[in-house]
Amino acid sequence: MATPQRTATAPDEGFSPPTERIAAIRAELLSTPYSICLERPRLLEQFWKSHQGRLSSRTEHPLVHRAMALQYLFSRRRPRIYENELIIGNMTSKRIAANYYIEGGSINILEDLARMGKRTVPLRLSVPETFELLGIGLRNTFRSVGAKALLRPSRISSFLDFFRAKRHFITEEAGVAHQVGNYRMVVREGLRHPYEEAGKRLQEGRLADGSTLDANQIAFYRSVRLTIDGIRKMAENLAAEAERMAASPGVSGQRRAELLASAQACRRVPFEPARTYHEGLQAVWIVHMAMNLEDFEQGLSFGRMDQILLDLYRRDVEQARLTPGQATEMTASFCLKACETMPLYSQRVDRFFSGIGVAQAFTLGGTDGEGNDVTNELSGLILDAYAQILTREPAVHVRIHPGTPEWFLHKSVELLQLGTSRPSMFGDTAVVRALEEAGMTREHARDYAVIGCVEMASQGRTYNSSDAALFNLPLCLELALNGGARFHGKARIEGKRRFGAATMPVDAMKTFDDVLEAFRAQVRNGVDDLVKVIGWLEEVYRTTRPTPVNSILTEGCLESGRDVTWGGGLYDYTSIQAAGLADAGDSLYALKKVVFDERRFSLPEFVGILKDNFRGREALRVELVTKLPRYGNGDPEADRMTQLAADAFADALLAHRNTRGGRYVPGFYSMTCHIGFGRVTGALPNGRAAGHRLSNGLAPSDGSEHLGPTAVLRSAASLDSRKWMNCCALNLKFDSRVIGGRTGRNALASLFRDYFSRGGMQVQVNVLDPETLKEAKRDPASHPGIVVRVAGYCAYFNDLQPDVQDEIIERTAHGIA
Amino acid sequence: MGSPDPLVFSLQHFCLHDGPGIRSLVFFKGCPLRCPWCQNVESWKVSPEVAFKPGLCISCGTCVEACPEHAVTAVGRRDASRCRLCFTCVERCPSGAMTLIGKQLSPEEVMETLRPEFPLLKDSGGGVTFTGGEPTLFPDFAARLAGLLRAEGIDVAMETCGLFDHESLQPLLNKLHLVLFDIKIHDPGRHRNICGADNDAIKRNLKSLAEAMHRHEGPVVWPRLPLVPAMTDGQDNIRGWAGFLRGLGLSRLTVVPYHPMGSGKRRWLGLPDGPALRTHTDTEIEHIEELFTEEGIRAYKPGEEDFPPHERCPATHRGANDEP
Repeated sequence: MATPQRTATAPDEGFSPPTERIAAIRAELLSTPYSICLERPRLLEQFWKSHQGRLSSRTEHPLVHRAMALQYLFSRRRPRIYENELIIGNMTSKRIAANYYIEGGSINILEDLARMGKRTVPLRLSVPETFELLGIGLRNTFRSVGAKALLRPSRISSFLDFFRAKRHFITEEAGVAHQVGNYRMVVREGLRHPYEEAGKRLQEGRLADGSTLDANQIAFYRSVRLTIDGIRKMAENLAAEAERMAASPGVSGQRRAELLASAQACRRVPFEPARTYHEGLQAVWIVHMAMNLEDFEQGLSFGRMDQILLDLYRRDVEQARLTPGQATEMTASFCLKACETMPLYSQRVDRFFSGIGVAQAFTLGGTDGEGNDVTNELSGLILDAYAQILTREPAVHVRIHPGTPEWFLHKSVELLQLGTSRPSMFGDTAVVRALEEAGMTREHARDYAVIGCVEMASQGRTYNSSDAALFNLPLCLELALNGGARFHGKARIEGKRRFGAATMPVDAMKTFDDVLEAFRAQVRNGVDDLVKVIGWLEEVYRTTRPTPVNSILTEGCLESGRDVTWGGGLYDYTSIQAAGLADAGDSLYALKKVVFDERRFSLPEFVGILKDNFRGREALRVELVTKLPRYGNGDPEADRMTQLAADAFADALLAHRNTRGGRYVPGFYSMTCHIGFGRVTGALPNGRAAGHRLSNGLAPSDGSEHLGPTAVLRSAASLDSRKWMNCCALNLKFDSRVIGGRTGRNALASLFRDYFSRGGMQVQVNVLDPETLKEAKRDPASHPGIVVRVAGYCAYFNDLQPDVQDEIIERTAHGIA
Repeated sequence: MGSPDPLVFSLQHFCLHDGPGIRSLVFFKGCPLRCPWCQNVESWKVSPEVAFKPGLCISCGTCVEACPEHAVTAVGRRDASRCRLCFTCVERCPSGAMTLIGKQLSPEEVMETLRPEFPLLKDSGGGVTFTGGEPTLFPDFAARLAGLLRAEGIDVAMETCGLFDHESLQPLLNKLHLVLFDIKIHDPGRHRNICGADNDAIKRNLKSLAEAMHRHEGPVVWPRLPLVPAMTDGQDNIRGWAGFLRGLGLSRLTVVPYHPMGSGKRRWLGLPDGPALRTHTDTEIEHIEELFTEEGIRAYKPGEEDFPPHERCPATHRGANDEP
């Protein structure tokens, strides 16, 4: 166990400024326009058309065919090395670009084809490229997993449901990704380990337990070898490019040495174990690229780098090969690489996931398997490195537990005070409890790392489709109050079709429990529908788009001879997140109070008022908003209703298994789906008008926070989160003027400790000055680099849709009146 | 029972600029001064008031219908002479635009509201601060509440305008660790003209508190100067106070720059607008801070003070053993 040590930069000394190199890379990235990379689809189409591609699609197992395609892609993409960088390996063919994933959901971008430069997030694409993009899109319309799963006559209503995104938004259609791979193995053993293991299985024709390999398992082990061959070639191509550049005239002596060092590293890793901190970072980066090229870009995370790289770092420092300052610079260069990628969302989809977040996450601090604190000097150094760049990627998360050293909590808060909303904080006690509840051993649960925004994995052991779908929870109450139909469905599109389940008509409901039961039935019905559609997607993944890279990085697959999409992962989950939790809870409370306790209205009367969207009843609407107790003010009665709503969702999910045999588990975060869902959700009993955004993640509903942040945190911590395997997102926003300085730092540190000691699971903070944000909205050029936390992820403020910007501005700034 | 019980007009949590650590604030209603820059004008009167917050009003007319005295003649308009303070309008107002300022709460009720915050207050080295208005108008109540808080291990501080009867305050002072003592205008005549009362007693009280502190027989006393353009920011005023503080053996104070964030409250209560005051620039504030430094007094910004920790003040220990 490591003793907590002071970091290179002591907590009270603040953060050191970036080196010239880091400042230069950062400046270049910030001034680079976004684009779309067409290299991946181009190479895949080439492969599919090639002799090998055509032959293997007919004669080979789908796993092998897929691995061949990936090998083709990895080994033929052109390496690009940029000025100044110490860690090399290009995410795409351009400096900053989104990959186009034919098999995923990228086709949605064709909706914006005529206005690429005029989007909220403009994309720069030449005219020939635009035509090429159109061609790729049209030629491959039916190659996407979503199309294969849903574009069948019998499934057309599910397709429309998916497309309209009212009840839910199925993210898994675009890919699974969302992984914290086994980078520990990559760094310590190298890919040689799985490569040789696969070779041994194939040679012996048996699993390690002696059972004979079947055809699928043989195909799996072959896919592992083919894929690793591809990754090796990709690394070698990078090395060759670095050598070529080092040899070219006009290169400074220092740069030549750096390039040769990179080349040397890429000739070795990730196939062989890393020997130095530099090789460790380089190994992780190459495998991370392979992960990005395989599935899609979302939530591919680095995990507990302060643990994985610690030995290498300490040895380098002890043997005087590396100073902490050099290590910080190298780490910052690594972090900046994460800015090269972005998702491809059309304006329509961007409403649900505004801010082009990818969330390649570091998880720092926490405990070992026995519960001993393992926060170390590298945990602090990685915070230092991020403090030098403050960019939209990567994501940084810290684990807080009772033994977290004070310097680390303080340093984390000081980073928060810089205004990028990083790091977000996770409470080990609550998280580990939920992971154990979901079937992990305590030791594995304690080795958790955050996937992307807030989702959970035991690092390198979990296949969690952690962002499979988002679910509109308050809509279930609307359906429950209208016999399964929306208050105002568009009859022409939806026909006479009920939207939800046929639950008891309102005039037959006699008690609050009748309402609650109908609500639960609607939730179950919505979840059942989702599980059905996700099952279709899972089948398509298994048969046409397995993920060998991911399988190499997930314990259990090599042992069982099964790809992760075939259920090979040691732990397997599918996670669905509820949006609008507090609105649902507060609405249940309001209904009970006004209709069943005070009997001010009959239920049909009250529902009539909701259907009319409180028309002519503004006084009532405002009274419901302002005078009734609500979640978020430390009121146990109000909080209990939010718990009921959360339990309804969790229980509906926990009743299901995915087709790989893994559990369905809930999360409570909403990306920006609470805005998209809000637009299509009718008036709610808590006074929320039709069309207004829903409550965000675990946050109180709009206008509910009367008592400030301490009460919000108390309410949040009071909820029973044992079933929330996929965690939650609780946004708090503070005015920078209030929580600045050492006083603010100490106060926030106390606030977090108190929250986590009460059982809090997660919290993330925006430290912002509303005036600055208003200015940034009016004149985007005035503040190009403001990073805000939107849901579980961070984004440049300028990249957000205007209504999301408004929400960030409006969200209660916890100051002192 | 000597002094009357106060009305409390607000309880605020997670306050960082009113003493060390995270603090909860108890606002007592009633103040003997009428400083024109006051940002809490709802604290002036001891008696309860109805405030009208136009920003929240939805013009539904409920208040007009509901008032039994027909004192609310139109939305947002109330004839104070007819109002008998029955607060029906407040009860019936759906939006909270009609608000009652000042609630009667027992010390035990205040404790119940504050109790959920206690772990955080303790962990952060914070506590509860009495403010207002003027807590010293209610020495018995304040001492009782402070006693209850101390019994649960919660640190207590007080903000005061300094105009009080020192003798009747002794039981309260015994339970305090810190007194944030507002000083305003040094010149007696100007103080009377601008703030509406003499400052002799204020200076006397500051002197006694300082002496008690030096003898380790009283709470830490920490002066604070609200920096108000054309009222408290003159060189004479700064030098006057600096000399006075030096004479008392005090070497630190907090300079609190004026900010007009509470100006809207005057309209809530139907009071005429206060004087239009600008805010100081950062450079001006620095200049004032330097003036104090030249005079041998260290000036702090709010929230940046290094208050002595609780245990360094013997008075609080002695107070802890007192009967509440």
